[in-house]
Amino acid sequence: MTGATLSTPHLNTEPPRSRGRRELPEGAGNAALVFGAWLLLVLATTITRPDFISHQTLLSVTFTMSVTGVLALAQALVAISGGILDLSIPTALILPSWLAVTLAALGWSSWLVVLITVTTGAAWGALNASIIVWGKLNPIIVTLGTNFAGLAVMLLVFQSAQTPLHSGLSHFGRGYFLGLPNIFWPMLLLLALVGFLMRQTRYGRRAVAVGGSPTAAKSRGISLRKTRFAIFGSAGALAGAAAVLFTGSNANFTPNDGTNYLLSVIAAVILAGISLSGGRGHLWMILPSVGFLSTVPVSLVFFGLNDNWQTVMQGAILIIAVAIDGLRQKRLAR
Amino acid sequence: MKPTLRPRRFMRTALTGAIAGLTLLAAAACSSGSTVSSSNGKQNQKFKVCMATGGAGLDWMKGQGDVARVLAKRRGWDYVELSNNNDAATANKNADVFIQDKCKAVIEFNGQPSVNPVLAKKFAAAKIPVITYDIGQKGWYFLGIDNKKAGEAGGAALGRIAKQKWNCNVDLVVSSEAAAAGVVNQQRTGGMRQGVKSVCPNIPASKYVSFEGNGLLSSAQPAARALLAAHTSAKRILVVGINDSGVVGALQAAEQLNRASQVIGWGQDGSLISGSNVNPHLAGSVFYFLEGYPVYAFSKILDKIAAGSPPAVGDDTHNNPTVLLPPCPVTRGQAAKIPAMPQRIKKLLAAPNGTTEDSLFCPNHS
Repeated sequence: MTGATLSTPHLNTEPPRSRGRRELPEGAGNAALVFGAWLLLVLATTITRPDFISHQTLLSVTFTMSVTGVLALAQALVAISGGILDLSIPTALILPSWLAVTLAALGWSSWLVVLITVTTGAAWGALNASIIVWGKLNPIIVTLGTNFAGLAVMLLVFQSAQTPLHSGLSHFGRGYFLGLPNIFWPMLLLLALVGFLMRQTRYGRRAVAVGGSPTAAKSRGISLRKTRFAIFGSAGALAGAAAVLFTGSNANFTPNDGTNYLLSVIAAVILAGISLSGGRGHLWMILPSVGFLSTVPVSLVFFGLNDNWQTVMQGAILIIAVAIDGLRQKRLAR
Repeated sequence: MKPTLRPRRFMRTALTGAIAGLTLLAAAACSSGSTVSSSNGKQNQKFKVCMATGGAGLDWMKGQGDVARVLAKRRGWDYVELSNNNDAATANKNADVFIQDKCKAVIEFNGQPSVNPVLAKKFAAAKIPVITYDIGQKGWYFLGIDNKKAGEAGGAALGRIAKQKWNCNVDLVVSSEAAAAGVVNQQRTGGMRQGVKSVCPNIPASKYVSFEGNGLLSSAQPAARALLAAHTSAKRILVVGINDSGVVGALQAAEQLNRASQVIGWGQDGSLISGSNVNPHLAGSVFYFLEGYPVYAFSKILDKIAAGSPPAVGDDTHNNPTVLLPPCPVTRGQAAKIPAMPQRIKKLLAAPNGTTEDSLFCPNHS
């Protein structure tokens, strides 16, 4: 897995180099925390119910990870570049999903459907970016507004949508590769690819620089507008990719279904140690973060706990993660 | 001063205004739905019926409003429609609007029944009679399905399949719940379990398990996946639930875990049993023809209220309902012959006054 170590001190847009002395890589503490929590959860559940370690559990967790993972990656891009949060993720997921199933029902080729779905997501991101950049408005307020507007428009257009049972999307969503769901692999691939691009390309490093300190980035000749456009457009395209995975694995959905993902996506990003104030974070950390969050509900069932505990746990994890992020910010400020 | 600043500022102001406008528009659309009125200059003399639909996301919720609007128009009544948006606070706000709007009668479909006692108090103080669909409330005309009977009919049908296929040797009876629906959930899913038991009485109580699916496929699917993963030894599984979406979510979860051949489901509400996209493991469902409820509301209650002789309030969902509708359990094969909802609405509205969907489309009454 490619890990993108991203932090604002590298404003020279060059990859970070060794400083000649042995030190823990940045974010190692957070990685140990998340992996530790995940391992502890798996161990505790296995001790209680040895049948927890099974292919069924693996399938259950990986199915849940797939869509959430790609959406968390989109959210992480926005956060790392200083966009704080994209609250229009629900619409960014459902709007392309609706288009995808509509085109699939009309018999369009699956590849074309995928292309249009991803492009629609990118267009949605570009719409957000244009309002934020040209209006110089707070991204949270803008994306909250566009999410409301998008949801309302979708409700005018459709009440519920169905993925055609015999479409390529549906076949892909129900298939397996190397014993894991088909939809899990694009998530892994995108995580590796985006992580690599963020670290190895000029655009990626610029995005991190803009997130860390827009003023410093601007003084070094980085265009804030272009960077924001690129980031929101890419995040939208990723949401479009998540829509492909979502429609493949959900035969029926409503305009409101995207909201189910928002809390877990934000929790995953914060838990991954990606700073909401921008400029810091490791994209690869999304994998254990989403993995941990996707394992929690399965573990709760094995523990025999009520479903409502899932929401309680998710909320608690979010609060703890935000608190840790706050502590981290304070430590950095010193 | 740079001359380029002004257009930029204008652009910014315009964008801000556009966003604010869009947000307000969207918030209005999302929170209260559309308001439709056939009022003209003489609106004070007209009978005004106000309807709070359940919300967005399910076709039949919109269908209930569409049918009511046409029936009100045919009678020359004013018609106001708001959406409860599946939200208790919105339902409460809508009640205030109806009272201020001087509605003569209100139809409520409120899927968040916890707030109904509050609404009932307000409407009672304003002396506005209320018809409630499917969810009973003291002092309101109950019009709806006998949820328990609907559950039992579906459960018994699924039990018969289990008996025929597995001789009732069932490893697991999974129930897809929606706790927020309150008593409707208890009656419907409880009725389904009861129905299964009536045919297969020897299934041990420990084999009955449930999960929270919120009545939505997207919520039911991951929850059911987790539940099925925790029961790997179960090879013969029956799935019941509050509605088709919740049941199909569990069936899809089984497919995703490579256990599709181990499950058979029977749904409720008929929303996913017809059309070309029916899940192959959904054996049947129970139709209520929800979109046709306004036919009963108008002919059996509202016409009488408008004429000045309101019927006695029957508010007990089981023992004393005002109008109790017959559930219509159908197998997958039978459902294929029932038209899709838009066609059903068209045929219903074209039929003579008072004709019900049950009489038009149900192949076998329970």
